[in-house]
Amino acid sequence: MSPRLGPSRERLVQLMATPVHRKYFETLRRMLGPEGLVSIREEQFFLVVAIAIGILAGFVVVLFRIAIAEARLWLLGSSMHPSAPRVVLVPAVMGLLIAVLAVRFFPRVRGSGVNQTKGALYIYDGYISAETVVGKFVLSALAIGSGQSLGPEDPALQIGAGLASSLGRWLNLSKERLRMISPVGAAAGLAAAFNAPITAVLFVIEEVIGRWSAGILGAVVLSAISSVVVERWFLGDEPLFRVPPYHLEHAGELVAYAALGVVGGVASVVFVKGIKNLRPRLRRLPQWSQYLQPGVAGLLIGIIAIWYPQVMGAGYEWMNLAMHNRFPWELLGILAGLKLVSTTLSFATGTPGGLFAPVLFMGAMLGASVGMLEQQLLPAITVPVGAYALVGMGALFAGILRAPMTSVFMVLEVSGNYSIILPVMICNTISYVISRGFQQVPLYDLLSRQDGLDLPSLEEERGQTILLVEDAMRPSRVRTLRGDETIESARAVVAGSGEDAFLVSLGEGRWSVLGREALADAANGEGSPVRSLVRARVPRLYQDQSLEVALRFIKDRPMLPVVHRDNLDLLMGVVSVQDILGAYRRAGLAEPETAASS
Amino acid sequence: MGRKATDAVRPPAGTEMDARGRDGLGMSKETARCTVCGETLGEDGRCPRCKGTSHVWTIHDWRPLLTLGLVIVLGFSFTRLVVTGFNAKGKVLGAEYYTAGLAAMDGKRTAEAVDDFETALVYSRDNFQYRLKLTDALLASGATDEALSQLHAYWAQRPADAQVNLKLARLEAQRHHVDDALHYYQNAVEGVWPERTDPVAQRLSVRFEAAELLVRLGLQAQAEQTLLALAAVLPAEAPEQGRLGDLFLRNGDAARALSAYQAELNLKKDSDAAILGAARASFAAGSYLTARRYLVELRTETAESHALLEQLERMEALDPFARSATGEVRTRRTMAAFHIAVERLAGCGVPFAQALSRGEKIGHERDPAPWSEFASWAEQLAPMMSEGKLRGQDDVIESTMRFAFQAEVAAQKECAKPGLDDEALLLLAHERMGTN
Repeated sequence: MSPRLGPSRERLVQLMATPVHRKYFETLRRMLGPEGLVSIREEQFFLVVAIAIGILAGFVVVLFRIAIAEARLWLLGSSMHPSAPRVVLVPAVMGLLIAVLAVRFFPRVRGSGVNQTKGALYIYDGYISAETVVGKFVLSALAIGSGQSLGPEDPALQIGAGLASSLGRWLNLSKERLRMISPVGAAAGLAAAFNAPITAVLFVIEEVIGRWSAGILGAVVLSAISSVVVERWFLGDEPLFRVPPYHLEHAGELVAYAALGVVGGVASVVFVKGIKNLRPRLRRLPQWSQYLQPGVAGLLIGIIAIWYPQVMGAGYEWMNLAMHNRFPWELLGILAGLKLVSTTLSFATGTPGGLFAPVLFMGAMLGASVGMLEQQLLPAITVPVGAYALVGMGALFAGILRAPMTSVFMVLEVSGNYSIILPVMICNTISYVISRGFQQVPLYDLLSRQDGLDLPSLEEERGQTILLVEDAMRPSRVRTLRGDETIESARAVVAGSGEDAFLVSLGEGRWSVLGREALADAANGEGSPVRSLVRARVPRLYQDQSLEVALRFIKDRPMLPVVHRDNLDLLMGVVSVQDILGAYRRAGLAEPETAASS
Repeated sequence: MGRKATDAVRPPAGTEMDARGRDGLGMSKETARCTVCGETLGEDGRCPRCKGTSHVWTIHDWRPLLTLGLVIVLGFSFTRLVVTGFNAKGKVLGAEYYTAGLAAMDGKRTAEAVDDFETALVYSRDNFQYRLKLTDALLASGATDEALSQLHAYWAQRPADAQVNLKLARLEAQRHHVDDALHYYQNAVEGVWPERTDPVAQRLSVRFEAAELLVRLGLQAQAEQTLLALAAVLPAEAPEQGRLGDLFLRNGDAARALSAYQAELNLKKDSDAAILGAARASFAAGSYLTARRYLVELRTETAESHALLEQLERMEALDPFARSATGEVRTRRTMAAFHIAVERLAGCGVPFAQALSRGEKIGHERDPAPWSEFASWAEQLAPMMSEGKLRGQDDVIESTMRFAFQAEVAAQKECAKPGLDDEALLLLAHERMGTN
């Protein structure tokens, strides 16, 4: 027995029963259904989710930065020169606490977070647990706030990625979207931490995704922009560094920057090799030492900080001072060296925290030191020290993190100073080349291999040889048939050839392929045009396209025409699957998997 | 670590459908359909029949979307609360360090003041007042380069800020970069002043400072332009008219200086400073009678006014062309002028003058140019220097006075500092002949 309906519902049911109203409600139902007007496909919805991720990541990163500041106030006090006992004890004691929490409860929060995010993308189907997000937030805030020589940007990247992963699972997105969602969150987290959306997008593409993937680019950009809008809403839109205006007065100044690039490259190599050697050695020590290592690192950093408190934490306030001639060049050089040592200690012992800020610190101090020294040796150079510090940041960023495009835009965004782009590009390039020459494997790839993971690398991809269609194509062995010629004429061509497939030019850039049997068995009269036998057209290829693209088009077709871009009816050659495989063999590369070879 | 990094942690299993045909997230079963073939999507979001992956989100999926919206709103509120609290704390800390910095500045502990102001800025990054004070502390501690760098950085952000421009102007003036200093002074005049200040008064003050700099450096043409611009904007009733007059006078523009002093006198008739200024300006302009009139009006005599008056009296005593001078007085004054001029030349080592002052005969051979002409002239005039011969000889008196004037002018170029009588003759020469 159906439940009794109220008067209004009864009326509604009666209305729906009439033909006119039934049709009306049916239309409304269709409009609100899966194929209606008020519907959105998942790939479009993903962009909306990206904005939501950006907003949420913005909130979380703002809270993260405040947490670090509060931790610092609570643990080390408000002065920029804390007392000696505090400076020594706090990083040591907090290091022990952080180690216990990290080893026992949050094992995935150790390290910077960049490789962990990349691993989530390529190995764990985009999965980052919520506990990792919470653990990274808390432990990184404590670590940086207590004075460990690490930065907040990399943890913010992982926090953003974890947030995105959790949100994606909660929304029950498809597996494909779930896998791609962590870079979206990573870009949001990094953009908010750095207040630099372009840098974040480029870094995520260069380091996290490891390849240029147009499919995800839109979502990454949207999330980065959203998070920066939120971050600036709460924390203001001042650039990270206030640098005096700089103008390139004389081309000779570029030589000075080139020298800085050399110094930066050398320093990058020293730093990476330090981590490369120390980290695995510390990991090979007995398990119980993992609980002590961050504490010992904190103790050593604290001892250094008695005389040089600048090495503690991220160090942004000291970088700002260095850009304004605060320190003599000798002290700047010492600070760069001590920060290198401190960061190596903090990072190699597995303390949660990032490398961005320490790298910028080292670069700023080194750049300012080199700049001031150059001004003393060559008084004609009148470039502000701040300009050198900025360029130095870029040099070490390029040399250590090996993200050349990111390093250029990073300097522009953190300073808001576009006039410095030329020195930055020169210096970064030199530093990058030197670093690459002495340390083949980039830092993040090094770290992932030390962790037993083999993740894709854009730098390695850059080094790969890309084969083009022109490397595989060959001249056609037989005359191309025309669509308007008779079947009889075509059969004559076929009879004189040993080929099984023949290209047919249909005019206006259209092509097809006919088999021998199709021409022989044609029921059409011999006077009929060849065009009448064509069932489907084939795609065209161009000489400059990659063989990977060619493989996607060729599928199971016997061959494809390679035509001139300017004249689509002009045949340059043909290419088949065998031709493509032969090209790979000749280049000494592994053959791609195809239907023919698998 | 204890666990291998390669331990794969698989994502959780797909959600289950509940009895109502909805999954745990409240998404409608009817929307979980493949848009290609209409088949219900599997747990992995893929269509089992045609492998289409698109879940379609419709208005039926309002629950998760509403929840997400609520989470964003709550997140915004919570973050705002936290940020507001943190900023308030930062302001308090910043104020504490700022106060400590001020105390350190008062106690001349400039290094400590710098540290305190820098710390204050860590907690109140955008506080302009703290930044300005930091630059003051840096300058006091001798860190000029750093102060300049801070100011340049700030100026790049706020080029229209008048206070920043003024500080930069003063710094550049100290470093003798006059063009840069003037540029910043101009910016300070045209820039934005804080609301609590009087922008008009501030701008006037800056103009005066810029003019002062130019006058001090002796850049006469530039100073004159600046002073003229200042005069154009300075109201007639402004008390700074006297200061303007001083600057005009120092820059050599006596006429405009006099106008400025007169404007001040219109406001303050009894101002001795204005009267003295007007007297000086009149004197410099060669209006000695006017100058004397002003000097007489002074209520309190000063050393300067006394010297000026004495100078004027000396001039009067030597001026044979004064209206009040009788024939006898004219004669005596002419003879006095001649003898003063000859003594002056004798003091300069001119041979004919030395001979003349000793009462000897003038010999031309020993007199180099330009003195040889003077020697011929003096030879003609010397015999006429008696009361009897000179009386009624207006042309000789005229010639004698011209000789005295030109001799004094020539001696001023060639010799040491003139005496008081020589100065009087020079002033007379300026008045009569317009010579400098």
